[in-house]
Amino acid sequence: MKRVLEGSHAVAEAVRLAKVQVISAYPITPQTHIVEILSDYCSTGKLKARFLRVESEHSALAALIGAQSSGVRTFTATSSQGLALMHELLHWSSGARLPIVMAEVNRALGPGWNIWMDQTDSLAQRDTGWIQFYCEDGQEVLDTTLQAYRLAEEVNLPVMVVLDAFFLSHTYEPVDIPDEKDVDRFLPPFAPKFQLDTANPCSFGQLVTPAFYMEMRHDIDRAMDMALVRFGEIEEEYARIFKRRYGAVEAIQCDDADIILLTSGTVTSTCRLVLKALRDRGEKVGILKVKLFRPTPAEQIRGALKSAKKVAVIDRNCSFGAGGIFAQEVRAALCNLPGHPLVYGYIAGIGGRDVTPELLEEIYWKTKNSEVPEKESVWMGLQEVAHGTQRS
Amino acid sequence: MELNALDQEFMYSGHVGCPGCGAAIAMRFFLKALGDKTIMVMPACCWSVIAGPYPQSALKIPLIHSAFETGGAVASGVRAALDMKGDKETTVVTWAGDGGTFDIGFQALSGAVERNENFIYVCYDNEAYMNTGIQRSSSTPYGAWTTTTPGADWKKLRKKNIVEALVAHRIPYAATANIAFPEDLVRKAQKAKAIKGSRFIHVYASCPTGWRIPSEMSIKIARMAVQTNIFPLYEVEDGLRYTINYKPKEYLVREYFKLQGRFRHLTDKDLDQIQEMVNEDWELLLRKAGEHT
Amino acid sequence: MPRSYMSTEVNKTGSWRFLRPRYDEKTAPCSAACPAGEDISRIEMLTTQGLFKEAWETILRENPFPAVCGRVCFHPCEGVCNRGEFDSAVAIHVMERFLAETALRYDLKPLLERSPGKKEKVAIAGAGPSGLSAACFLNRLGYACDVFEAASEPGGILRWGIPEYRLPLSALRSEIARIESEGVRIITNKRLPADFVAGIGGNYDAVFIGCGHGRTTMLRIPGEDSSGVEDGLEFLNKIRSGAAPPVDGLSAVIGGGNTAVDVARSILRLGGKAVILYRRRRQDMPAFQEEVEMALEEGVELKELLAPARVVKDRKGLLITMRPMKVAGEDKSGRGRVEPAGGKTQEFRVRRVFKATGAEAVEEWHRPPGRQRNVLVLENCVLVNRAKGPAVVFGGDLTNETKSVAHAVASGKAAAIALDTFFREGFKAVRSRLKSCAVGKGTALSMEIYMGGERRLRNPHVVRFGEINTDYFHFAPRITQPRLMKEERLSTFKEIDLKISANLAIREAERCFNCGVCNRCDNCYLFCPDLAVIREKDLVGRLINYDYCKGCGLCVVECPRNAMTLEEEKR
Repeated sequence: MKRVLEGSHAVAEAVRLAKVQVISAYPITPQTHIVEILSDYCSTGKLKARFLRVESEHSALAALIGAQSSGVRTFTATSSQGLALMHELLHWSSGARLPIVMAEVNRALGPGWNIWMDQTDSLAQRDTGWIQFYCEDGQEVLDTTLQAYRLAEEVNLPVMVVLDAFFLSHTYEPVDIPDEKDVDRFLPPFAPKFQLDTANPCSFGQLVTPAFYMEMRHDIDRAMDMALVRFGEIEEEYARIFKRRYGAVEAIQCDDADIILLTSGTVTSTCRLVLKALRDRGEKVGILKVKLFRPTPAEQIRGALKSAKKVAVIDRNCSFGAGGIFAQEVRAALCNLPGHPLVYGYIAGIGGRDVTPELLEEIYWKTKNSEVPEKESVWMGLQEVAHGTQRS
Repeated sequence: MELNALDQEFMYSGHVGCPGCGAAIAMRFFLKALGDKTIMVMPACCWSVIAGPYPQSALKIPLIHSAFETGGAVASGVRAALDMKGDKETTVVTWAGDGGTFDIGFQALSGAVERNENFIYVCYDNEAYMNTGIQRSSSTPYGAWTTTTPGADWKKLRKKNIVEALVAHRIPYAATANIAFPEDLVRKAQKAKAIKGSRFIHVYASCPTGWRIPSEMSIKIARMAVQTNIFPLYEVEDGLRYTINYKPKEYLVREYFKLQGRFRHLTDKDLDQIQEMVNEDWELLLRKAGEHT
Repeated sequence: MPRSYMSTEVNKTGSWRFLRPRYDEKTAPCSAACPAGEDISRIEMLTTQGLFKEAWETILRENPFPAVCGRVCFHPCEGVCNRGEFDSAVAIHVMERFLAETALRYDLKPLLERSPGKKEKVAIAGAGPSGLSAACFLNRLGYACDVFEAASEPGGILRWGIPEYRLPLSALRSEIARIESEGVRIITNKRLPADFVAGIGGNYDAVFIGCGHGRTTMLRIPGEDSSGVEDGLEFLNKIRSGAAPPVDGLSAVIGGGNTAVDVARSILRLGGKAVILYRRRRQDMPAFQEEVEMALEEGVELKELLAPARVVKDRKGLLITMRPMKVAGEDKSGRGRVEPAGGKTQEFRVRRVFKATGAEAVEEWHRPPGRQRNVLVLENCVLVNRAKGPAVVFGGDLTNETKSVAHAVASGKAAAIALDTFFREGFKAVRSRLKSCAVGKGTALSMEIYMGGERRLRNPHVVRFGEINTDYFHFAPRITQPRLMKEERLSTFKEIDLKISANLAIREAERCFNCGVCNRCDNCYLFCPDLAVIREKDLVGRLINYDYCKGCGLCVVECPRNAMTLEEEKR
């Protein structure tokens, strides 16, 4: 059934369809609509779940760790500061092999309080063992959330479904809400591989000595490898039922492109317009949208980029001292490929600053017109403003 | 004294608690009272290690180890899940040390009990961060040496009154207990088990290693704490009704302090001052219980 | 996620230990002080548990006369009772009587260990407490015994000396009946001749002489043989025979022991008046202080520091002249030494004078020999190893410095053990054998130890008050022995001390610390952090699982009664 929904609502619909049993969340702009809708659903009985109104994000994830360990399907959502606060427990969730699913609304980190779009928060958690999906529109958010539960529960790793603050979370778009019966076919009830059970008592998370720890960590890494494979299969299954597919990456006109723009999130939508405009002017340009960030779909990235001469990575984030994070990951994926394209890193759209079609074109021309990248990542769209600190 | 029906054990020998560990004794008594339909949440504390290394465990009930500050939150989640599964029998218990209760865990605890989550929170109190090597906590008593309050910098701040802090949340049941008074402890645990909502029990658990006392003195000193009014045994129901469970012999506090190496540096003047503080607190408690002297 | 299904029991933490606890029952001070070596802490423990029969049997194992001692013993046990340092001593004396009464009430038949029958036979002269005890213990050791008693009924001083109001005949008779039912043969109305020992021949392999001190000592003053000057012991004897000798007017009783007090109080009950004239002070009187107190309450007069000088009989009756004495220092035990004070004498006009200054052996052959090569002078008896003929053992008042029923029982026991050792191992083995049965390295002997009972394993260390963990005890008042009121006492020879109920007995027994005895309070089991104390259903005691015991010592400290010991781990 098609409805016009904002991104937050699409998340909530997916959670409802997934028949999640315990939700625990702490409000933070711009995630608030997700939890408010879900709170309403729980209250009216539209969703039969316990909603724990915890007192912080850290406790929200802690509560889910407890709940998931007890054998029920769970959900939380957060953003920026909240995600950062959860950091310790993000590691814990994956280490505990719990299939928790979280909606993460990319938002800038303070100080200066900034509630707008920035990818640094979720990317800063890339080492925590969570599977990460970056979504472009409302439909994708809904579909990905449902697929997240399947994937998480199969490989026993937690999954983060990431959406842009405001650009996605608060933007209304037409979204097709699948039929409950179809979703039930795709996503059966949670069958825990282990749970706290007085009939079968066991201790979870006991102290582990060097003799055993390494193998457990290796298992997580293997699970990530498995996730890469299983995601493709799960997407196929989803496509058969719901006729929609996105891919770990989406290569748009990359085969004959000299320069490929690498994007993620809503920037991709803007980029599609720029692509058409440039192509109309005869430029050999392509787009590689990266949806699955963790595990890194290195093969597919290499496959899409190998024939291009240059890749311009648009990072709406920055790892200070090392540049844009997508750019680093792409370089890492390409470095052993003989004759791989040059990687130009660009940082833009930080803290909600708009990434306009003009800016994207500027990035294209800058890339085309420089022989080599001037540095790891170039900041684009900076203004001459007095803001009280030294401008570098 | 026979414990009769409570002769069952839910704990194994071979755990790695120090000889004379009060926390081990406390766990043993609580498990006897609570029985096998119990799921235990255990944030980082001495017991995280006492329970033994993987693949062993010293407990016969299901146990989930959790991050240090998450005792109240993880238990909330476990309870929610059990409720969703229709489980009405299992008791959820958080077993935390003073660090994970008074300090880093206080937020999660306060949050959970404010929501009146249906679980029992037991804080076994050895009055410092013992697991990490005897560093002070807000539960460390006035006058104590710890590795972070050494020498002349001995702790000159009062012990945080955790029970009162929780009583202020108007939880259905809050109580103190002591390993030297097993019948009282078991009674309270069983009473708590039958109540719904947030229940908090603050258990005094001697630590020979951290308090610099001989291992065989754990129980004697625990008893002394009650007899000197330093750790009174009382219950508070619904944040309103105070009941003092035991009229102590009211020994002088110096009898308690002089037995422990961690208080060796205190002078008579210090002890006099502490005696006044203890008297004051005891008077306050008596008034709350409606028992004026 | 690490999931542990294995228990920590694979981890044998016993290897951490450098101190090792063990169950080590010890000796209670009361047991060590009891001349009969009764296992008192255990008796009180059994009483607390309501196991009255077992408690009674525990007494009988060491003392065949609980009904008697529970009434007339001077209870040295209470003087050393550790509870006395806490609030007040346990009323062991009262408890002993209660147990005897209970046994009587329910007609209990004791089940005691007995050795198989032996060929030797023993003759016993005198059916007093020492003779009957000797017979009883020898019988238990498998020997056939014949007790010869000159009087018409057995009992000795118990039958003929102690008044009814202290020791009712019914109680004594039931006690003796039980002893007889165990197999002891008593032949009454048989006075043994002086040559009895010499003339036994092969009939008996040993003789025990426990004839007691039946002859009152002389005052050795002029006028002693006047009529009206009577023998205190004879007086008591007459009353015990059912007579009511005349006691009109005032009688003077010379002496300060129990006999003197008994005479005085008996006089009152018969309607007379009595005054005790004693050469030392009241606190020096050998009589039990309680008896003296009651006597004074009842109206007996006491005049201290007066020694008899002369008796003159005239038409009005007797006039006894007393010489005042003064204290000239105290001996080791605090008893006053007296000497004539000089000054005027006092005269008392009385109807009769009763002599009760002491007693001695009736016959010469009753007196034991001194230390010689073939004579073993032991604590409570003297063993004579004769070259030809049966061995002879002297006991009871004949040999004991303290002349009490409890010491008489001790004599009988010592004699029995000595003779058994003598028969089985020879004369030279007797002294060390007796030493090995001592309770707490003291002088009392234990039949249980000798016969290899369970409690033989107890550590002879005597538990001190400082070793008791008093945290587990609360102040509780000692039971007051219910008694007839003064007015009721005077008109009758009825027993003064009244019965107590089982409820009161248990409450009093609960006050006992059970020094050195495991009473299964289970503190050790309860407080072990490592669950290393095992309580098995069929096991009487507790076991320590040394695989896991870390040697923390909590069990030892929390044992309220020092029934455990912590020692260095030997590696």
